[in-house]
Amino acid sequence: MPIYLLKKLVTLPLILLGVSLLVFVALRALPGDPARLMAGPEAPQEAVDAMRVRLGLDDPLPLQYLRFAGAALGGDLGTSIRSGRPVTVEIAERLPKTISLALVAYGIAISVGLSAGMAAAVNRNRWPDQATMLFAIAGASIANFWLALLAMNYFAVELGWLPLMGSGTWKHYIMPAITLAVMPTAVIARMTRASMIEVVGQDYIRTARAKGLPERVVMRKHALRNALVPIVTIIGLNFGSMLGGAVVTESVFNWPGLGRLLVDSVRFRDYPTVQGVTLVAVTAVVMMNFLAEMLIAAINPRIRFD
Amino acid sequence: MKARGLPNVRKGRFVAATLFAGLLAGLPLAAPAATLNVLQSEAPRSMDPGDQTATFTYTVLEPLYEGLVRRNKQLQLEPALATEWSSDAAGLVWTFKLRPGVSFHDGTPFNADVVVKNFQRHLDTKRGLAASGRIRQVLASVVALDDMTVQFTLKGPYPAFLSLLTTGPALMVSPKADAAGTLSRLAVGTGPYRLVEYRSGEYVLEERFSGYWGKQGGTERIKWTWTAEQSVLNMAIQAGEVDIVNPLPPVFARMVKANTALTLHESDGAVVFFVALNLKQKPLDDVRVRQALNLATDRAALVKAIMFGFGRPANSPLSPVTPGYDASLNPYPFDPAKAKELLVRAGLPDGFSLSVAVQEPEARIAEVLQGMWAKIGVKLEVRKMESGVWSNAAFANPDQKAKEGTGAILTSWSSGVNGADMQLRPLYHTASFVPTGANLGFYSSPALDGLLDKAAATADEAARNAMYGQAQRLINEDAPHVLLYYKKDLFAAQANIQNLWTEPGGGIAVRDAVKP
Amino acid sequence: MTEITATLAPTDSKARRRRRWLSRRRSIFIGGLLVGLVLLAAILAPLLSPADPYEQVLSDALLPPSWDHPFGTDDNGRDLLARVLYGARLSLLEVVVGVGLAVLVGVPLGLAAGTIGGLVDQVIMWTMDVLFAFPGVVLAILIVSILGPGLFNLLIAIAIFSVPVYARLMRNVALGLKSMDYVEAARALGASTPRIMFDHILRNALGPVIVQSTLTAGTVVLSAASLSFLGMGAQPPMPEWGAMMSDGRNYLGVNIYMSLFPGLAIMLTVLGFNILGDGLRDLLDPRS
Repeated sequence: MPIYLLKKLVTLPLILLGVSLLVFVALRALPGDPARLMAGPEAPQEAVDAMRVRLGLDDPLPLQYLRFAGAALGGDLGTSIRSGRPVTVEIAERLPKTISLALVAYGIAISVGLSAGMAAAVNRNRWPDQATMLFAIAGASIANFWLALLAMNYFAVELGWLPLMGSGTWKHYIMPAITLAVMPTAVIARMTRASMIEVVGQDYIRTARAKGLPERVVMRKHALRNALVPIVTIIGLNFGSMLGGAVVTESVFNWPGLGRLLVDSVRFRDYPTVQGVTLVAVTAVVMMNFLAEMLIAAINPRIRFD
Repeated sequence: MKARGLPNVRKGRFVAATLFAGLLAGLPLAAPAATLNVLQSEAPRSMDPGDQTATFTYTVLEPLYEGLVRRNKQLQLEPALATEWSSDAAGLVWTFKLRPGVSFHDGTPFNADVVVKNFQRHLDTKRGLAASGRIRQVLASVVALDDMTVQFTLKGPYPAFLSLLTTGPALMVSPKADAAGTLSRLAVGTGPYRLVEYRSGEYVLEERFSGYWGKQGGTERIKWTWTAEQSVLNMAIQAGEVDIVNPLPPVFARMVKANTALTLHESDGAVVFFVALNLKQKPLDDVRVRQALNLATDRAALVKAIMFGFGRPANSPLSPVTPGYDASLNPYPFDPAKAKELLVRAGLPDGFSLSVAVQEPEARIAEVLQGMWAKIGVKLEVRKMESGVWSNAAFANPDQKAKEGTGAILTSWSSGVNGADMQLRPLYHTASFVPTGANLGFYSSPALDGLLDKAAATADEAARNAMYGQAQRLINEDAPHVLLYYKKDLFAAQANIQNLWTEPGGGIAVRDAVKP
Repeated sequence: MTEITATLAPTDSKARRRRRWLSRRRSIFIGGLLVGLVLLAAILAPLLSPADPYEQVLSDALLPPSWDHPFGTDDNGRDLLARVLYGARLSLLEVVVGVGLAVLVGVPLGLAAGTIGGLVDQVIMWTMDVLFAFPGVVLAILIVSILGPGLFNLLIAIAIFSVPVYARLMRNVALGLKSMDYVEAARALGASTPRIMFDHILRNALGPVIVQSTLTAGTVVLSAASLSFLGMGAQPPMPEWGAMMSDGRNYLGVNIYMSLFPGLAIMLTVLGFNILGDGLRDLLDPRS
């Protein structure tokens, strides 16, 4: 592994430390008292106070953080205020759902985005290019909750082809995954096009062509390989916004993933769960970025990031 | 039901999706035909009926648990885990004979000891259970007279005691499960259904309990799911994906009515919507100002705009289904001219500014009021809040409210058929100032306090209702709230689902629902 | 729009060159046109609106488009066209405030990190990495939950998650330029560090920052809509597009117009900024 990647690896824990501190402080700054929420609006004050003690919220903040951080290092993210179950269990139950949805969506985004971007680059400034780019930019301009609701109304209610919501069968994946894929597809298509066009203009491609290699081979073997670097970078960087998109998509489609867990937990001031989910999400984002850099190092050992 | 599937999708269109999804999808969860699918608007908060106060949680738990008494389809009280009961002349001591041969889903036998433990967990202030307050206000002690007899002693006469026994905290939970601390996620009751699976992000699955003591008329299984999206509630019932949607947003009521495959169930609700005015804030301390706001409110238009006609203008702090409700009152007909005049007399010819704290789902009501009150010069600032923030603002003490400038709280309250006291005491009694109770605007009237205390201690129904009649007039006159409307409880079901009923407050009873 | 092309097109060039120039700068033209439309709507809202955007006529709620109400009415019987037109003002305000805050915070931070280096650089970039690691929506949910809902707080949240982009951008520009000959020369000639920063680095960074701002503008409008969906957007009765769209979604199945028109407005605006940003990037990128 190159030195800069090792260095990067060392900074990962530091970033996670910062994230955990930020989340912890942010949550305590939230207006709204979890004890009151759990006890319900009708509960008398004494019940609320009892609830607060029960939830361990009466301790000083630094103590609460140390307890949280210490336990988190040992793989214990605390107990959900809302469900009374370990946060790790809650997350473990939801994580596969979010990961599988994200994988399907990313699969769509990468396959469609790459081929559309290449098609656009090859036909630069002709109609396939313009059409693809228009779709790509338009796709990135629609609020996905609305797209999702329209799709539900059409494909599930009007046509009755697809299940409306929930998860379970492969059919349940189609609408949420496509909705979630729209944004990254657009981004990947644009990046692929730009990067291909830039690479194609360079000397070694001209040389390859001059050598009489078929266009296909030139494109696949030489151009794409080099164009991949920025594409992989953007795929890695977009993982975060994809998880953000999952928050909305999961809420609309009743997808039992981490995004919905996060929204529900914020609403209930379920501190431990919000902390846990955020930490997991951020770790995933950081790891994805790191993976992307490793991949790039493998594709093109000359490139390095600082 | 419509046939679903993908026969018409052009090849290639969804190739990528199909490919990946096919690889990743687990085994489909095959739901047998005899599953009743119910979609609600919010997730259950706990599997412990004593640790929640939410209508839609109660609905989920109702097939799993039973109390000593329960309400039947006609909403009359009938024996459940108690076979008979009696009270002394003063209404202070109640004795219940328990049903023999009943056991919990975990095998624990049901007896007097169980009943005592169940109520003691609410009397124990250290437990901090969400619904304990209701029990603690009324109950002094509970003892087992023998293995199958229990005796309750109340703090004072409480005519609605039997009704109280049908509410969440009075449903019997297995003491074994309670001691194990697993009740919040693993329900163990004596009901006709037992919990099969609770996936907090997904569904609650219930199945008929083979060891049930009574008759079981319902479907084999009940599956509960939930969504916060209003339009999805409607889509789900229209697409035939679920059997019941509760509640149905009123905007879709007509659409459901027009669909012959569906049935719209509507019933008079117990929920009263109102704006609680902060009487510690000027100029709301002036009764003329409060009356002016009431007069400037076009309730009929409100019912039409918000409930699409499925509601009634509020004329009393009690709902029409509450015993003692006086239908003849009509204190504040829509009269903006008179409202304006009252404001002038109160020295506010140019109106004034007011803020209202409201939760997301009720924000539209505030928005409509904003338009109505603007016509008499009242500038209403709508503060739309998320529930957690809202509770903090609403249940703040006078100083904090003054600091935050909270002039009014828009909310609703429902005591169902459980009596006027459960509606009026928490909202209007001086002893119920927030945060202790739910007197959100610090209204205090010694005359009303006296009336409420006296009525609560009166066993004779006619005399009691007469006192509640007086209380309603008094509250109307003092106008601590701007009363808005009573909503109708709406839910939609596939037309073939039989034997469902609504419990005032928005709950539905599905334990005997039949799906052919 | 004519003003935009007029200022951008070189007036002294020959017609043929100008046409070619224009066709290559088509994205700037189209993007500018769309953004210009929004600007025009914002300016002329009072003239173009058929009704008061706040006036409720409850008996006319949820009407489909007609001559009286070209876009129909919303659930409170307010004219949708008027609200969409007035909403353009709010959306532009969002862009100015959201992007402006991100630039105002991000640029100095990146500049400081890039020019001072050392510990300052490390602390700043560590903070940026921490912020950047958050999925934007997650960070915004946390921030809005703390500050309370409302348009301005929402914009702060959106701005905060855009800050790292500008900080990184500026730092890279600064690092790249610091070692360049003419900056070294300027320093050798006795120019002070702040002077070097402003004269050279800032000027060179202007292009990338403008491009990035245009691209962020679209994100701001779209993020505002997503957060409105999660209940963290503008307060009523503001005719904010995201809030209107998210209110309208509750009526899908009975009335589509309430969410359709604000949705289209958002889409065209974001589209405009994105196309414009792409075009500007091509224009300012020395390689193309």
